[in-house]
Amino acid sequence: MLVTYIEAIRQAMDEELARDGNVLLMGEDVGVMGGAFKASAGLQEKHGADRVVDMPISESLIVGAGVGLAVQGMRPILEMQFIDFISCGFDQIVNSAATLRYRHGGQTACPIVVRGPSGGGVHGGLYHSQNPEAWFCHVPGLKVVAPATAYDAKGLLKSAIRDDDPVIYFEHKFLYRRIKEEIPAEEYLVPIGKAALRKEGRDLTVIAYGAPVHAVMKAARDMATEVDIEVIDLRTLLPIDWATVKASVRKTGKVLIVHEARLTGGIGGEVAARIAQDCFEDLDGPVMRLGARDVHTPFAPALEDYVLPNQEKITEAIRKLAAY
Amino acid sequence: MLIDVVMPQLGESVVEGVVVKWLVEAGESVAKDQPLLEISTDKVDAEIPSPSAGRVAQILVKPGETVPIRAVLAKLDTDPSASRPAPEAAPKWDEEIEGVPGHMARTSEPPIPAPPRVEPSAPPPPPPPTTGRIRITPVVARMAVEHGLDLSKIPGTGIDGRVTRKDVEGYLASEASAKEAHSAAEASEGKPAPKAAPPSSALSSEVPAKKPKTSEGKPPAAEGDQVIPWTPIRKKIAEHMVRSKQTTPHVHIFAEVDMHGVAGVRAKAKKEGVNLTYLPFVIHAAAKALRETPIMNATVSGESTVLKKDIHIAVAVDTSKGLLVPVLRHTDRMSLKEISAAMDDFGARAKSGRILPDELSGGTFSITNPGIKGNLFGTPIINQPQVGILRLGQIVKRPVVIDVDGEDSIVIRPMMYLCCAYDHRVIDGVAGNAFLYRVREILEAGDFP
Repeated sequence: MLVTYIEAIRQAMDEELARDGNVLLMGEDVGVMGGAFKASAGLQEKHGADRVVDMPISESLIVGAGVGLAVQGMRPILEMQFIDFISCGFDQIVNSAATLRYRHGGQTACPIVVRGPSGGGVHGGLYHSQNPEAWFCHVPGLKVVAPATAYDAKGLLKSAIRDDDPVIYFEHKFLYRRIKEEIPAEEYLVPIGKAALRKEGRDLTVIAYGAPVHAVMKAARDMATEVDIEVIDLRTLLPIDWATVKASVRKTGKVLIVHEARLTGGIGGEVAARIAQDCFEDLDGPVMRLGARDVHTPFAPALEDYVLPNQEKITEAIRKLAAY
Repeated sequence: MLIDVVMPQLGESVVEGVVVKWLVEAGESVAKDQPLLEISTDKVDAEIPSPSAGRVAQILVKPGETVPIRAVLAKLDTDPSASRPAPEAAPKWDEEIEGVPGHMARTSEPPIPAPPRVEPSAPPPPPPPTTGRIRITPVVARMAVEHGLDLSKIPGTGIDGRVTRKDVEGYLASEASAKEAHSAAEASEGKPAPKAAPPSSALSSEVPAKKPKTSEGKPPAAEGDQVIPWTPIRKKIAEHMVRSKQTTPHVHIFAEVDMHGVAGVRAKAKKEGVNLTYLPFVIHAAAKALRETPIMNATVSGESTVLKKDIHIAVAVDTSKGLLVPVLRHTDRMSLKEISAAMDDFGARAKSGRILPDELSGGTFSITNPGIKGNLFGTPIINQPQVGILRLGQIVKRPVVIDVDGEDSIVIRPMMYLCCAYDHRVIDGVAGNAFLYRVREILEAGDFP
């Protein structure tokens, strides 16, 4: 079955709404309109207005209501129209949802999914281009995923909905309709907490997630005669699959981490630090990172390209590391 | 404009140095103060910074050559754009450029194809120099230990000549094939095999040229033996030791010192959060005793003895680059804590190779402390042209007989043998013994300000 990334997300919600009567979808314009990006097109018609619910423009309310419903046994999917606005619901996520299990000594759970379009490259300007995943990776009690393929988008969303803990699901809007992929017609899940080895290589490892995975794969193909690159797609950012990361570092000895989020305080820093500590004697070069410049994402296309990682920057970083 | 890069005077007493390694190539652009080459002198190793920004026009001295100070090492073109169509610093992606649209447009062009250093089938690189600092990566350090490798024999192909994992793997492979070729040739023809491995053959043509003059020809080395050519520092130490023993009749005398009082002061300082070792106490006591015994604080110059006005005690520090002997200027004016702090500072800087040549000269007396594994006692060699040296022995608790209220009593005390060597040409037994006796008295009194 050939599907786009966004269609894979729609299918995951559709299947889970059909499978489990406790699953709900709540968000701004998710019902009648089918979502700002049409991620929930047709779902209200099919599953009813009491299960696919249009909500007021208040992310705090959307998440807060979701937490309450989850405590009562429902499994709400909470859509942020743009993930940039998740900050309005931040307190409900980090202080309420993430702490619930802990506060109750494990006697209750908070099975919510907060999902929404993240990422730049679409000239969306600073309020529609953000990658705030690192904020949530600092919070115990949460799980954070960021699929790069249609297969993973569907499989991870279904796993997230079935997970008993709050999962923050970062879908990349640049990928929504740009990738088309053959996925199984039958049901499948992608486990949370497991990275994907996208390509084997001997010379160096590039670790990425989300949209940059595709640029890294292209670099690996284009530079094949120059350097043999191993590519890891983290898929889950909390908890990170350290076993896969370390096995690769032990093999290649050189690591570049690429993410679209800003460099300072980004996931790359944590990955780099862990590698430096645990794999020091395997390193054949400095652990390198490539991320967005530490500025807000500009609207102007040329400026946006200047700020975000792109194909050229990835190629250059790989060359630099390979030569070390 | 062409300017000279000259061999700087790295210290008052330094007259020449060996070029260990060039860090840049002819034709390469360099920034002001960018290290151009590594120099090894008989005191320290140093990097020579570029006097100006520009392009390296010519390198005049090969690695391994000894050059006097002020010799011209290279020519630097400070205005390369005048002589060649200058590449107007192509903006790179990682450059921080102020946000004006014109600049932006250029920076979004694809980067100039970087020099492809990653070439799986690249020909063997030129051999790097075999002495001096070697740049490696952590995995290479581990592999060197695992395979017992001498990393100076492996040409580095990474940035700045860094030895990479691939270089080590390549070296191991070529070593293995060279060995095979060797034994195969010997078996079939009974004559020496051709040198198969480029790195090792290049090396063997390099090493003899650099060998110190004191060694005679090629050292005989059986298979598995390791030949370590002397570094300039090693060479200097060897020459110095032989000269000192040949010129000076050493007399070694010993004192048994009860360090009970010192231990008390240490314990008190520790309570105040100050960690003192035994060494600063001995330095302090020696400085005081030297002031009272001027003949011990002297140097020999031809057929004269020079009684030095100032007391500058040189203290031996063991470093990865060999034994260094930094000097504590005006030791007699320093407090115990100042001595301790200065020694800590020397120790830390010696480890990172950042002791300046001038800090190693001008001593008037020496102290050597072999540390906790220093054994009972030892007989040190005088640091010429000085006339005396003290050596600390191990401090061990022993039962000793002392006088308590007029009665002999056996107590347990931390005891140390202190050895003093003096130059019997200059110092008679009375003065030498008086000095060591006084050091002991000061230490046992335990009266430290």
